[in-house]
Amino acid sequence: MSDVAISNNGRRGLRLFFVVVVVFLYAPIAILVLFSFNNSDVPAFPLAGFTLSWYHQFLHDADLRGALETSGLVAVLSSVGAVLLGLLASIALVRRRFRARAAMSALLLSPLVIPYIVFGISLLLFFHAAGIPRSILTVVIGHVVISVPYAILVLVPRLQQIDVNLEEAAYDLGAGPFRTFQLIVLPLILPAVLSAFLIAFTTSFDEYAVASFVVGTRATFPIFLYSALRFPSRLPEVIAVAVVVMVLSLVVVVSAEIGRRVAERRLGAPGA
Amino acid sequence: MVRRIRLGLTTPALLGLPVAWLAAFFVVPIVIVALYSFDVYTLFPGPHGFTLAGWRAFVHSSLYLGLFWKSVKLSLIVSAVVVALAYPVAYYLALSGTKRKYVLLLVLIAPFLTSYLLRVLAWKVILGNQGVLNTFLFWTGARSPDHPISQLLYSRFAVMLVLAYIWVPFVALPIFVSLETLDTRLLEAASDLGASRWSAFLRVTLPLSLPGIVAGFLFVFIPTVGEFVTPSLVGGTSGYMYGNQIADLFSTGFPDWQTGSVLALFLLAVVALLTAVFSRFMQAGQAPTR
Repeated sequence: MSDVAISNNGRRGLRLFFVVVVVFLYAPIAILVLFSFNNSDVPAFPLAGFTLSWYHQFLHDADLRGALETSGLVAVLSSVGAVLLGLLASIALVRRRFRARAAMSALLLSPLVIPYIVFGISLLLFFHAAGIPRSILTVVIGHVVISVPYAILVLVPRLQQIDVNLEEAAYDLGAGPFRTFQLIVLPLILPAVLSAFLIAFTTSFDEYAVASFVVGTRATFPIFLYSALRFPSRLPEVIAVAVVVMVLSLVVVVSAEIGRRVAERRLGAPGA
Repeated sequence: MVRRIRLGLTTPALLGLPVAWLAAFFVVPIVIVALYSFDVYTLFPGPHGFTLAGWRAFVHSSLYLGLFWKSVKLSLIVSAVVVALAYPVAYYLALSGTKRKYVLLLVLIAPFLTSYLLRVLAWKVILGNQGVLNTFLFWTGARSPDHPISQLLYSRFAVMLVLAYIWVPFVALPIFVSLETLDTRLLEAASDLGASRWSAFLRVTLPLSLPGIVAGFLFVFIPTVGEFVTPSLVGGTSGYMYGNQIADLFSTGFPDWQTGSVLALFLLAVVALLTAVFSRFMQAGQAPTR
C-alpha cells in the first residue's frame, strides 16, 4: 500500500531523519538530567562526579517550594475554571442552534492566536484601570482566558460523538437536565474532561509571559525560574528542579494520553 | 430537532458565563489598550484627550518598524526551518507504513508538553562560552579554551535555534494529520498513469498536504513574531525583538504605556489579519489538538 508513497531507500532515509530529529529534541533534556547529578557549581565538562546535593538543596529551598505551591494553586484554580467555562460553552456549541454561533465560537477561540505579550499588557492595563491589585487571582483570571479555547477544542469533538438519543431517553425516563448530565453525558465525556483539565493545568503551571505582567508579590514557579536564571549560583539547583518537573510532566502527559486512548476505545469511539 | 432545543439549560444560561468572562477579561482589556494608544487613558495624570500622535510617531519611527521587520524576518526563517524539519518526520510517520506511528508521534510531541522555560534553560546551559558544548570541545581537545565558539549564546542564532527547537514537535501534528488523511489510492492512480514517486509526490501529495503546511507555518509564525521570553533569555542585544521592545515599554524605569499600546495593537492587528486570511487552513490544523 505505502510503497507508492515511499521507496525502500526513501524509507530508510526518512527513518534516519526521524531518529536525528528525535535525538535533537531529547538531547538537551538528557544533558539537563546528566548535569543535575554533577558535583560542580557550573554545568560544564569534564564531569566532576556524582552528587544528589542539588536535589537536596532545592527540597530545602523555601522560595522555590513557595513558588511551586503558588503555581500549583494557580494551576488548579485556573484549570477548574477553564474546564467549567469550556464545558458550558462546548455544550452550547454542539447541542444548541442559535444565531451568531460562528461569532461566539470565534470569540471563545480567539485567545488561541493572540500574542501573549499583547494579552499580558492588556490585562495589566485593565487591572490598573479597574483598580484591581495584582495578585495570584489576577494570574488565575488570565490563565482561565488562555485555557478556555483548549478546553473547548478537546470537549467539542467528544460531545459531537455522543448520541443525542441517549440524552432524550434519560429525559423520557424523567431525569432532569442536571441528572441527565451527571448520569449520561459526564461519564461519556470524562476522558475528554480530564485531558482538558490536564492541558489547562500544565499550560498554567508553565505560563510565564502573561503572568509576568499581572503577578503580585507571590511568585509563580515560572516567575521564580526566570529570576533564578539570572543568578549563576542558583543554576545547578534550578537544573535539578527542571529535571524533576520535566520528568513528572512527561509521565503525567504520556500516561494521560494513553489512558484517554484506552478509555475512548472502550467507549466505542475510535481514539486515534 | 425541535425537542432537542428545549432540553436542558437554555442557550444564554450555557453561554452567558464563558462569553462574559472573555468579554470582561479579554475584549475589554484590548479596548483599554486601544484607549491608551489614542491617549484617551494615560499613565500619568494631566491634560489629555483623543490624539493620533502615538500612531503617527510609530509609523514614522525607523526604530520600531525596523525592529518589527527584524522580528518578522526572524520568525519567517524559524517557521520555514521548522516546517522543513517537521515535514519529512510527519511524512515518515504517516506514509511509511510503520505500525507504531501513534507511539512514535507521542514520542515526537512529548517534549512540546514539557515546560517551555525549562527547554530554553537547557539551551542556555548548552550554548554559553563556558557552557556544555564549548567545554566539551575543550575537554576533548577539539578546540582551545582560549577560543571558544562565541556567538552561540546571546545572539540571533541562539534565538532562532531555541525557537525552532521549541516548535518542531508541535508543527509535525497538523502536517501529520493532512498526510494521514491523504487518500493513497490517488498515489496508486498516479503510479498507474506512469508518474514516478517523485512526480507523484510533487503533483499529488505535496499539494494535498498544503493545508497542513500552511497551518504549521502559522502556528509557529504567530507566537514567535511577538516572542519576548526566549530572546530575553538567550538573545542578548543582537537577538532583541519587537516583543522585547513592547515588554520594556511597560516594565522598565521609564514606562511609556502609550507607545507600548501602539506597538502591541499593531502586532495584534497583523496577527489578526493573518488569522482571518488563513483561518480555513488553521481549522485543518486544529483537528489534531483534540
